[in-house]
Amino acid sequence: MRLLMNTRNLGLTCLLLWPFMALGAAAPLGLALGDDDEKGKEEEEEKESEPIPEEDKDAYFALLNADIYTGTGTLLRGAGLLSKNGKIVEIGYEILIPGRDYYADIEEDERDFRVEILDAGGMRVYPGLVAISSSGLTGASGDFRDSIDPFSSNMILGLAAGITSTGQGRAAVKLKRYISQDPPLAYDFDGVVLSSKTYASMSWSSSSAKRTLREKFTRAAEYLREYHQWQIDVKKDKELKEPKKSGVDGSTLEVLKGELLPRFRADERLDLLGIARFAQEFGFRPVIDGCREGWTVADELGRAGAMAILTARDRRDKGEELRREGGSSIENATLLSAAGVQVAIVPSSKGISLSGIVGRDIMHLTVEVDFAIRGGLSERLALDSITRVPARMMGISHRVGTLEVGKDCDLIVTDGDLLHYETFVQYAVVDGDLVYDKQDELYYAHIRPRPESSLAPEETLDAGENEGSQDEDEDDGDGDGDEDEEKEDDEE
Amino acid sequence: MAHTSNMRRTGSALIALSLTLVLPLWAGGAESKLTSAASAASPASAAPAPLLQPGEQGGRGLAIRAAKVLSVPLKGRQFLDNAVVLIKDGKIEALGPANSTPIPAGYEVLDVGDNWLMPGMIDLHSHIAGTFDINDTVYLTNPGCRASVAVRPGNSRLKMGLAGGVTTILFIPGSGSNIGGQGVLYKTGAADYEAGLVRDPGSMKLAQAGNPERYLFRVGRSFMNWNTRNTLQRGVAYAKRWEAFENGEAAQPQRDIQFEVVRLLYNKETQISTHTQIYQVVNMTLTMVAKELGLPVYIDHGTFDGWRAGARAKELGVSAIIGPRAIDPPSSRNFRFSGSLSARIQGCAAGYQEAGLEMVGFNTDAPVIPQETLQLQAGMGGRYGFRCDELQAVRGLTIVPAVTAGLGHRLGSIEPGKDADLLVVTGDPADPRTSVEAVYTDGEKVYDPRVERRRW
Repeated sequence: MRLLMNTRNLGLTCLLLWPFMALGAAAPLGLALGDDDEKGKEEEEEKESEPIPEEDKDAYFALLNADIYTGTGTLLRGAGLLSKNGKIVEIGYEILIPGRDYYADIEEDERDFRVEILDAGGMRVYPGLVAISSSGLTGASGDFRDSIDPFSSNMILGLAAGITSTGQGRAAVKLKRYISQDPPLAYDFDGVVLSSKTYASMSWSSSSAKRTLREKFTRAAEYLREYHQWQIDVKKDKELKEPKKSGVDGSTLEVLKGELLPRFRADERLDLLGIARFAQEFGFRPVIDGCREGWTVADELGRAGAMAILTARDRRDKGEELRREGGSSIENATLLSAAGVQVAIVPSSKGISLSGIVGRDIMHLTVEVDFAIRGGLSERLALDSITRVPARMMGISHRVGTLEVGKDCDLIVTDGDLLHYETFVQYAVVDGDLVYDKQDELYYAHIRPRPESSLAPEETLDAGENEGSQDEDEDDGDGDGDEDEEKEDDEE
Repeated sequence: MAHTSNMRRTGSALIALSLTLVLPLWAGGAESKLTSAASAASPASAAPAPLLQPGEQGGRGLAIRAAKVLSVPLKGRQFLDNAVVLIKDGKIEALGPANSTPIPAGYEVLDVGDNWLMPGMIDLHSHIAGTFDINDTVYLTNPGCRASVAVRPGNSRLKMGLAGGVTTILFIPGSGSNIGGQGVLYKTGAADYEAGLVRDPGSMKLAQAGNPERYLFRVGRSFMNWNTRNTLQRGVAYAKRWEAFENGEAAQPQRDIQFEVVRLLYNKETQISTHTQIYQVVNMTLTMVAKELGLPVYIDHGTFDGWRAGARAKELGVSAIIGPRAIDPPSSRNFRFSGSLSARIQGCAAGYQEAGLEMVGFNTDAPVIPQETLQLQAGMGGRYGFRCDELQAVRGLTIVPAVTAGLGHRLGSIEPGKDADLLVVTGDPADPRTSVEAVYTDGEKVYDPRVERRRW
């Protein structure tokens, strides 16, 4: 029902927007068309008409026939998505695509836009994954503009893992590859960095660190109070001087003003409790990286509005001398989520590992999430833990993490349930550019190749299940209604 | 829901007249899905019952119903939907469709609902059953050394492995020596060594390349091949002298503890588990140990480009137990020594399978990969191209290692007469999302997350 209504609404939106979109695009084109008619008569002048530079063209990307998991909890089956210049402009049904549904009669070299259409053929589409932290995916360190390698094989493997954005050091960056095309496009260095400062690092590692932290927060809070008072008082006395900022730590101030999230590294219960109390005292939301024993104090962390970055397979026995619960637990993400703690998940190894041991590096981000599901986390929250929650933690959720109109067109197309261990990313799109196609890269092209690929086996494989998979007698006679045992939980 | 349907089923199973008075006695029994056939008739004044679980040796029978039973016998139908498994005295008694398999009177009936039942997983390469001093490199050639003396039953890592569904492991010496000694096949859920012992020696550990090259005098592969051949040939000669003696053809030879294990190998009572990887080395395992010496052997690890020898392994009937590395990637800088020049990410297990080898299993080399994530090794095999359309991943965790280790008669599948080492799982065991809800060893429930209060 809700889906139907959505469809109608989106259709309506589409109709309402259509004239404006058309007008916007037609204005410059109309002139061009007018000129064209005249020029058609004079062939000599036609040669003089300058081709529109690629950079000046509007870039459209359209995705068709996809089951779109928007990451907001909505699933649109057999839907489409359109982006313009890297931003999503429409998600829904019966989307009108320039060059196909209108302006189709304009010759390609006379268009002031280019359009790429990807027919997903019933595959699934998810928001590009957001790895809260990783190393080596962009080949860059320090100044990204100087050191990013847009041809890095690690970037290809990162995209193959579904990752389109990642925290790298303090920054949040996109996995933007160089797109080779003719005529060539300049690499968008500036588009790589989503945010150069995604968090304020806080140390809770020693008593002196805690003391320093308290001093910083006390001073920053004092300054903020003075400043607010000044804002009131200055209206009466315009001569009044703004309070001095001396001794105020910039990052701490940003945290207290809610402009930046603080990130702590802590695992043990007492530290977690300490951070929760400290955050409540000063009124900010802490992000806790590690959070191993979080499940033992989940309520306290939830009340403090804490968020957690954790590894589902983290494994540490509790100290044998302890009577209380402790150590790691596969149910950590589940229990924290239940207490209202938003959870982002990362594997134990943040880099790409080509040592042959698989399943625990950043290439297997979804596998780590699978283990959280093993511990009871819902599939929905599991997807959140690698999309919108890390985006929120890095302050980039206005751009990435979900598929919504107005956000960046960063998405992945998969051949099945994203969280299934055999699923491969078939395509990855960043800023509306197709940057990864499994069949075009040497790494995975041979594994379950897409049917249209030259690598696919000649004969079409029978879609049937295993031999003898069906019970001879369908009626199991016990009337227990468990005939739904197979793959029922495939979709949410 | 499940509970009421249990009751109904129990009633329909014609065992309402059972006189059994024993209620589930272990902790958590009250909240488990177990229903006693005669629970209504069991008074508090029941005679003191022995603390035996239904299903275990000496206890009454246990019938487990499941939505799906992955029986995975070596040949034939691999699973049954809506099936029941009967367990008595620690052994599997029967398996059949729920609607046509009579449950004998007095059997405890356990309905695991939509969960699946499968055999306990078997890991043929593990180092976590005991102390970690099993990789000493005092002697390069040490076939008499026994890992069994280092077992610490019920240690925390064994418990984690159990929670991950691994019920039997081959606990072997490390690969620091060319011939490191004897492994022991051991059940992870056992309370003591005697109860857990499946077979000693479980294998003779041979390390053909790699780690022994770090040995004190930096032995090379050609030397190790000579040493292996020399040792095994002498061992075979020793075995033949004993054979002649047993046939009354010769005098009793002098006993040599270094070569006793080769007698067992010669008689096919145990196998050589070979740390072998890289095509050239796997090839030597196959040509020298399997073909030339004719000893029972299997490929252990088998990684990097070892899969290129897959067709030969098939020809010689040698199994490949793959792990802990699952892929042979291009440009793996650290491992240039392997000679592998993969142009793509090649799944190791997939490579053997594509060469036609059916006996492909998985190992962890625990603690390299934690014991409890053995199932992920199968999952990652599947991810990287290993076809699982006929339950090959499940087989690679159960029947394949069982048969490979010569335990096909006892373990690895749900067939009458085999040990009741069973898992209740929430779905496809190769899927890391699947959790283990109960583990039975010899019919005894040895892991229950509701009792342990800690899951894996």
